[in-house]
Amino acid sequence: MSYDDGDALWADKRSRAYEPSDKATVFIGSSRNKFDLDIPTWEKLTGEDAVQLAIEGESPTPILNDLANDKNFKGKLVVDVTEGLFFTRDPGNLATPKKYIKFYKDETPSQKASFQVNHALESKFVFLDKNYFSLNGLLHGLHIPDRPGIYGGPDFPWEFSKKTFDRQSMMDPRFVKEPALQKKVQGIWTAFAKMDREKPPVGKQLDSLLFVVKTDVDKIKARGGQVLFVRTPSSGPYLAAEKKAFPRNQYWEKILEVTNCPGIHFEDYDATSHFVCPEWSHLSPEEAKVWTKNLVQAMQEKGWKFSRQTSSL
Amino acid sequence: MEIFPSNIITLNNHQPKSSNMLFNSYTFLVFFLIMLVLHNLMPFSWKTKKVILLIASYTFYAAWNPPFILLLWLSTVIDFFVGRALYTQPNRHKRNFLLVISLIGNLGMLCFFKYGGFLLENFVTVVNAIGINFHPAKPNIILPAGISFYTFTTLCYTVDMYKRKSEPVKHLLDFSLFVTFFPHLVAGPIVRPPQLVPQFETPHKATQKQVMQGLLLLSLGLFMKVVLADSMLSSSADAVFSAKNALDPLDAWMGVLAFSGQIFFDFAGYSTCAIGVASCLGFVLPENFLYPYAAIGFSDFWRRWHITLSAWLRDYLYIPLGGNRKGKTRTYVNLMITMLLGGLWHGANWTFVVWGALHGTYLCIEKLIQDLRKKLAPIAVEIQNKEAVVVQGYKVNMAPRFLKKVSSSNFTLALITFFLVNVTWVFFRSPDFSTAWRLLSSMFGHVKSGAAILSTLNIIKITIITIALVACHWMMRNTRVLNVASKTPWWLLGIIWAAMLVLLVLSQDTSNSFIYFQF
Repeated sequence: MSYDDGDALWADKRSRAYEPSDKATVFIGSSRNKFDLDIPTWEKLTGEDAVQLAIEGESPTPILNDLANDKNFKGKLVVDVTEGLFFTRDPGNLATPKKYIKFYKDETPSQKASFQVNHALESKFVFLDKNYFSLNGLLHGLHIPDRPGIYGGPDFPWEFSKKTFDRQSMMDPRFVKEPALQKKVQGIWTAFAKMDREKPPVGKQLDSLLFVVKTDVDKIKARGGQVLFVRTPSSGPYLAAEKKAFPRNQYWEKILEVTNCPGIHFEDYDATSHFVCPEWSHLSPEEAKVWTKNLVQAMQEKGWKFSRQTSSL
Repeated sequence: MEIFPSNIITLNNHQPKSSNMLFNSYTFLVFFLIMLVLHNLMPFSWKTKKVILLIASYTFYAAWNPPFILLLWLSTVIDFFVGRALYTQPNRHKRNFLLVISLIGNLGMLCFFKYGGFLLENFVTVVNAIGINFHPAKPNIILPAGISFYTFTTLCYTVDMYKRKSEPVKHLLDFSLFVTFFPHLVAGPIVRPPQLVPQFETPHKATQKQVMQGLLLLSLGLFMKVVLADSMLSSSADAVFSAKNALDPLDAWMGVLAFSGQIFFDFAGYSTCAIGVASCLGFVLPENFLYPYAAIGFSDFWRRWHITLSAWLRDYLYIPLGGNRKGKTRTYVNLMITMLLGGLWHGANWTFVVWGALHGTYLCIEKLIQDLRKKLAPIAVEIQNKEAVVVQGYKVNMAPRFLKKVSSSNFTLALITFFLVNVTWVFFRSPDFSTAWRLLSSMFGHVKSGAAILSTLNIIKITIITIALVACHWMMRNTRVLNVASKTPWWLLGIIWAAMLVLLVLSQDTSNSFIYFQF
C-alpha cells in the first residue's frame, strides 16, 4: 500500500512541526532522508515523533527558509545534505517545495476534509496509487517512444519506492532482491549525471548561498530551536561522482563552519561507512533501521536530548 | 437581438489561488449525499428544507474561506432591500439615487477585489511614464471565490427592479437562496430571478427521472473535468504556455489545442455538474454550453459558449448601450465595448482585453459580411429567418436555419471558426504578451528550430481528444445530451456511464480547482 505523497500529505505533516521540541524532531532534505530514516525505529528509540518534510529530488532550502520565518517553530530540525540538491540554484529543484509551502498556507477547510476522506480510501485501495495505477500512470507504462531530444522523465519501477502515511519511502522486498530492477534505477542516475546540469557553486555564489542558510539557521536558533546537518549514505559510482563534484572540505565542512551547527557524516562512523545502497543512492528498509539506530546514537553524542535516552546501540 | 453573442467566457492565466468545496472533491461527495437525504427523503416542511439548503450553501462557500461569507451575506441583504425599494419607490430621483448606490456598492466591491491591484499597477505605470516617481507597496487582496458570478446575479435583480421588469422577491429567504444556491454560487450558470425564485416559492420534490438525469449529468461533468481536462490535457497545456523559448510548430499547436479542450471540459464540466446537482434536488438551472466547437461563425459561437453570461452582457450592457438600434457604426462600437468589457470580466490583465477585442473584431467582420449578403440578395438571405425558443420564461434567439444544416460546407465553416477561436485562446491563457507572441510565432512557423517538448503520448492524447471533441460537437449540435441519453438502449447507456465512472476513479488524483473560480 502506498500513499499519494503530494502537497496535501506534506501539508498534514507540516502542521505537526509545532509539536514541542521534547516531543518531535522535524526532518527536511531530499529522498535519502525519506528512505534512510526508519520512522518506527526512530520513535521506538527516542520516544518522540519524526515529522518527515523532505521532498524527493528537491532542495531543502525553501523549507528551511519557511521554518526559519515561522515564529511558531522552535523545535529540533535535522537537515539532510545531498550536495547536488542542497547546493542547487536551479529553479526546477526549488519549485515543488515552494508549491507545497503555498498549499500548506492556503489550504482550505474543504481541502483538509477531503484529505481525511482520501486517507481512509487510500489505505484500502491499491488502485488509488497515482504514480502507477492512475489512468496516466497506466498510459505511461506503454512506453511509447518519443521524438529525439524529448525527455519524458525518469521511469522508476514501482517496486523502488512505496510511501507510508508518515512519508517514509521504502523499497519493496522484490527491489532489494532483484538486481535487474536495481540496475534500471542505476541507469536513471547515470542518465541524470550525463545531462547538462548546472555546475556546483564556487566563490561568491557559494558564499551567498551559505549566507542564506546561515541566516535561516540563526533565526531558528535564536528562538531556542536546534539544527543539525546530516550526510546520509550513498555508494558506488554515485558516491564517487559526488565526492568529485563536491569535495567534502569545500562543501560539507563549509556548511558546518558557516552555520556553526553539529553535523553527522555517514563516513565518519564505522557502523555506517560500509553501507552499500542497492541502487547507489538509498538504503534498503533493513539497512535504514541500522542507519536510524546509529543516527540516534550519534545525535546523542552531539548533545541532543530525547525523551527516551538510548545508552548504547 | 441580432448578432451579439449569447455568451462570454472564462479562463485564466494563473492557477487559482484557492479552491472551494469542489464538485470533484471527496468533501463534496459527502456533502452532496447528506443534502440528497435531507432534501429528498426527510419529511421536513418546505420552509425547513429551504433553510437547510441555505445553511448548506453558506457551508459550501465557507469551505473556501469562512470570513467571506459576510461579504456574500451583506451583498444579499442590501440588494434585497434596495431592490424592493427600487420597485416600490414612486419618486424617480430617489429611485435613480438608489440605483446608483446599488451599482456603486456591487461594482465597487467587484472592482476593489478583482481589479484593485490591476488598476493600481496601470496607474503607477502611467505616472512613472510622465516622470512622477511613485512606487506604492503591492496590495495583497484575496479575490473572493465567485464574486464575479454572484455580483452579476444580484446586479440583474437590481436593474430588473429599477425597470420594474418583474415583481420583487417577497421573502428574504427566497432571495438569499436565489443568490447563494450552492450549485451555481461560485461559477454559474448566472441565473435570473424569474428562472429560480419561482422554484423556491413553490414546494416541490425531485422526481425519480430528475434524480437519475441529475446523477448522469454529474457523472458526465466530473468525467469532463477530472478525466479529460485535468488528467489528459492540462499538463500539456501548462508545459507549452510556460515554455520560455520558441517551440516547434507541432508542439505549439498541440499546446493550444490542449488548452482549447481543457477550457471547454473544465468550464462546461462545472456547468454540467451544477445542472446535475440542482436536478437531483429538484431544481432546474439554465443550460450554459451547447457544443460551441461546432459553431458556424462567431455569433453562433457566442450562442453556444457560456450562454448565461453572454445573455447577461447582451441584456444588461449591449442593449442599454443602444444595441443595433442607433445605426451601423454604433452597432460595431457597442459590440466592441461589450466584448472588451467581457474580456476584462475574465481577469485583471490586458491579455484578456485583447482576447475580447479579437472576438469583437471577428463579430464585427461577420456582421459586415452578413450586411453585404443582405444587400446583394435581400430575399434569399435566410439569416432573417430566425427561430426563437422560450427557455424558462426567457426568449432566446436561436441560430438562423441555414446554420442548422449539417452540410460539408457548414462543417468547413465550423472548422474555420474553431481555428480562429484557438488563436484567441493564446491570449486568454498566456500570462503576458511576450508569451503570446512567442507562441503565435511558433504556431505559424516564424521561428527557426523551435524546441520540441511534448511526449509522443501527450501528442496522441491531444490529437484523439480534439478530433473526438469536434466530431462530438458537430454530431450533437442540434440536440441535447439528455435527449440522446433517453433514446439510447439502457444497456449501452449503462456501459458508457460505468466506463466514465471507472475512468473517473482511475483519474481521481488529479483533482485541480476549476479554472474559472477565479473570475
